[in-house]
Amino acid sequence: MTISSYTERPGHKVDEADGLSVPWSRPSPKRKGVSARMVSAVTILVVLAVWALSARLQLVSPVFLPSPAAVWNKFIVVARDGFVDATLLQHAVASLARVFAALIAAILIGVPVGLAIGISTVGRGIFDPLLEFLRPIPPLAYLPLVIIWFGIGEPSKILVIAIAMLAPVALSTASGVRGVSQERINAARSLGATRAQVVRHVILPSALPSILTGLRIALGAGWSTLVAAELVAATRGLGFMIQSAAQFLVTDVVVMGILVIAAIAFVLEFTIRRIERVLVPWAGKE
Amino acid sequence: MSHLVLEGISIHYDGQPTPAVERVSIDVAKGDFVVLVGRSGCGKTSLLNVAAGLVAPARGSATINGKPITAPGSDRAVVFQNDALFPWLTARENVAFALRLRGVRPAERARRADELLDLVKLADAGDKRIWELSGGMRQRVGLARALAAEPEFLLLDEPLGALDALTRERMQTTLLDLWAASDVGVLMVTHGIEEALVLATRIVVLAPGPGRVVQTFEPGFSRRYAAGEAIRSIKADPAFAAARGELTDAIFEGEAA
Repeated sequence: MTISSYTERPGHKVDEADGLSVPWSRPSPKRKGVSARMVSAVTILVVLAVWALSARLQLVSPVFLPSPAAVWNKFIVVARDGFVDATLLQHAVASLARVFAALIAAILIGVPVGLAIGISTVGRGIFDPLLEFLRPIPPLAYLPLVIIWFGIGEPSKILVIAIAMLAPVALSTASGVRGVSQERINAARSLGATRAQVVRHVILPSALPSILTGLRIALGAGWSTLVAAELVAATRGLGFMIQSAAQFLVTDVVVMGILVIAAIAFVLEFTIRRIERVLVPWAGKE
Repeated sequence: MSHLVLEGISIHYDGQPTPAVERVSIDVAKGDFVVLVGRSGCGKTSLLNVAAGLVAPARGSATINGKPITAPGSDRAVVFQNDALFPWLTARENVAFALRLRGVRPAERARRADELLDLVKLADAGDKRIWELSGGMRQRVGLARALAAEPEFLLLDEPLGALDALTRERMQTTLLDLWAASDVGVLMVTHGIEEALVLATRIVVLAPGPGRVVQTFEPGFSRRYAAGEAIRSIKADPAFAAARGELTDAIFEGEAA
């Protein structure tokens, strides 16, 4: 029989399934000369140089704009000795703990809500307007109400962050669920899957790439509400540290805090992208 | 005796003035290989979906072994044109999917999946991820996955449509081997005239606007293959060329030239 002698080459689905393989259809991201990465590096260096120069020339009073060196020194000092009764690490851990507690809450509520929106018309009817209402409200606007309702303790802070995270998680989940191919669902049903099995074995895994994207966006949104969440009755946290420093016009700590918040956000983003690559290696390969 | 029967089926889609299919009857018995052919819009895929339980007919009855078809079921496993495999699972796990749904123990379902992969000549591909497979290999996995459900009927919706000509020809003999080795009844939709002749025990020619049966053929070439004749010798038979001419005429009959 000829079949056994015929070997299909793995990884070459392009020329068989799509009928053609066009190298020029995939433009190479690398161009000769400059790369975007290099331009970014130069941009950052220029900004740092302008900052250092204007601080050195005292164009602005150091109270308003401390020099990069002063900020770096402050970073070392706060990391070692602390600021307002806690080291930099303790502030960062306090903030991260809040954001991750909020993330877990947002996943526990947002993923089922997103599933309901994506799967059922009733679910969409109930949750869509609520989310659309919640989504554009700035955290500072609902912060007072959250404090009136839930007090000034830790739960309020986590709740403020979680509210900001809820919409991205739920909406990304919903769009992932809606994007599941009908053929895949039909295939599962014709193999004997019940509705619950279709949700668990087909819809959830199909939507996973989208859910992870939602988590990434949510972490960004949550992290950026940090300062608002730590506005009232916090004793630790990066947002609290910045506000305390601002009250005493310790500008170098303020700037240092901003940079630390940005750096942590960058690391979080990078980490989640890594996780995405491990958890959903098929994304973009179908 | 298992029997898949579509009787007097009419299909209406919402918002369309004319029915997609009008009063079509098709009968698939155990061991039959029934192929639906026809120009675009003749409703052949709609009819297959009625048999699958994915589309409800406006009129007529669809039954399997005398019981009405109201939902998809593993007694009628479907293979789609775009394989609809699950990329988060390996080839083996895809094949074992139906068994997993039934709560078969992991060791047992891996064993069964490997048997089926062997049957579709993919014995070494069990651990591969779906995106590492070629189009032809993916359809083989899709076929093995459908067979794992131990269906009485296989519903094939242009399963070879996206494959290149060479792979397609090889898949045809794989299909025939699987069919000949079991007593499964097959209902298949295709655009390929030669494919229909090679595979079918019965060809139902449909015409569009609204979809209806215009002619039925009983080519018998697949029985000759099952009896041991080589596919090359079947295709070289003048009777094959004659049947191809007849079938082509039947498909394009009534079409404004």
